[in-house]
Amino acid sequence: MLSPAELEILSTSFAVAWRALLFSLPFAIAVAFLLSRPGTPGRLILDGITHLPVILPPVLVGFLLLVIFGRRGPVGALLEQWFGVHLAFTTAGAALATAVMSFPLLVRSIRLAFEATDARLFEDAAVLRAGPWDRFLSIALPLAGPGIIAGTVTAFAASMGEFGAVITFAANIPGQTQTLPLAIYTVLQEPGGEAEALRLAAMSFAVAMLGLIAAEFLQRRARKRLFG
Amino acid sequence: MSLLQAHLKLVQGRFVLDAQFRAPANAITALFGPSGAGKSTLLSALAGLKRAEGSITLNGGEINALPAHRRGFGLVFQDARLFPHLTAGQNLAYARRRARDSRLEPADVAAFFDIAALLDRPVANLSGGEKSRVALARALVSAPDFLLLDEPFAALDGMRRHAFIQVLLAAHQKFQIPMMVVSHSIDDAAALASHLVALKEGRVVAQGPFSESALSPAFQALLDPRDIGTALPATALHSVREAIGHWLRADHVLIAAEPPLKLSARNILQGRVAALTPESDSSLLVTLETDDGPVLARITPEAARELQLQPKKTAWAVIKAHAV
Repeated sequence: MLSPAELEILSTSFAVAWRALLFSLPFAIAVAFLLSRPGTPGRLILDGITHLPVILPPVLVGFLLLVIFGRRGPVGALLEQWFGVHLAFTTAGAALATAVMSFPLLVRSIRLAFEATDARLFEDAAVLRAGPWDRFLSIALPLAGPGIIAGTVTAFAASMGEFGAVITFAANIPGQTQTLPLAIYTVLQEPGGEAEALRLAAMSFAVAMLGLIAAEFLQRRARKRLFG
Repeated sequence: MSLLQAHLKLVQGRFVLDAQFRAPANAITALFGPSGAGKSTLLSALAGLKRAEGSITLNGGEINALPAHRRGFGLVFQDARLFPHLTAGQNLAYARRRARDSRLEPADVAAFFDIAALLDRPVANLSGGEKSRVALARALVSAPDFLLLDEPFAALDGMRRHAFIQVLLAAHQKFQIPMMVVSHSIDDAAALASHLVALKEGRVVAQGPFSESALSPAFQALLDPRDIGTALPATALHSVREAIGHWLRADHVLIAAEPPLKLSARNILQGRVAALTPESDSSLLVTLETDDGPVLARITPEAARELQLQPKKTAWAVIKAHAV
């Protein structure tokens, strides 16, 4: 069915996507929670920064990542010096670029889940002597759970399709950073590559649909489990 | 034992709360007032859910600077908000794990409120009355120093409302936790409370032992004219309801100038006329001092003339058991 090259492309895409989510999920949950609370100071600014990747051209995001995380960038140089890690042109770099690009989507769906929770339940918990962290862990997180799961799976599917930022920051290296859309782009550069491009497009489509269906299914199951 | 004392100031748009009051230990205090008087706001400020200037002392300690989870209040809202992702029993366990002491075991409290059979159920499957009882049980399990109740029975109708009031009274007696209950129903307030704090437009207009402070003109002015009356202790009257006290409406009292005989009414109180207060061309209020406290009766001026009612004259108040 799938050729070894196609399998490699698919596995690279998965490798990039799950690393991207691993990076961004804790931050996304924290930012989404802060954005969902009316009292958070600097909420508008935080909201703006979170949504920047949606507004900016992806190529520009990739370029900014190069400037910051490249070997001579302020953060990139430190990472190399301290940990011997470099991100540009690696799978981890592709994951970072993907994480940045999918961050707004992830925050948005998690935030909706937090906002759908009756804020007065936090008052009840506070009066029952639950402190702020306790309330977050015992009330906010479990009640938003189904939404967080659904948002994560959707963001995972979307992460497989990230293009501009990835190719700029991590380049197009087969087996390392060549994800599905990058591979489609590559085969389209060659004469007669349309047939292969269509196969890859069908794979993309299948992954996206599977992701969306899985998100819906998991959300329903989690809801049922939570609320009977 | 705990005594609650507070002076709270809070501005919310055009509404200004400036309330100073005391609530005794080992008693149920009614926080009474018309809607918009600031009763719920006051409870939220006490519990620490709204920031207010001023001071709150509970058990001798100043707590107004503390966050809600360190204050020691319990709070039950009228819509009985239980955690929807937990079962009824897990809701109780949530409170128990965070309680400062373990005076009250969830199992005992559940047995008391007759909810032991509900504990495994998700809260979505509970009825309104069941939710109210679970919410009250959850608040008690958290072993608060003082329990605040914001119209806990407002969502319940007739019979269930009355049953819940009795449960509340029994819980107060059994668990010995002082309570403050918000109500805008004078009957509920009189049935539950032995102490009164009356609020109007954010200010306390009357406070003290219930029957005394309920007599004050400032308090009577809060009432709908049809509700004007007096509070009598439950022991003074034969009633079909169990309660601490009864609110006796002036409209429900007959006055007799001679000892009445062979009446179906179960309550006949002898007293002396203390005052005759004209209300309008067609009505006046008779204040009758009885051994159990003053009783108000609304009668027509013609009736007053026929009975030759005068201050200091002996008369009898006649009250049906079903009227209180």
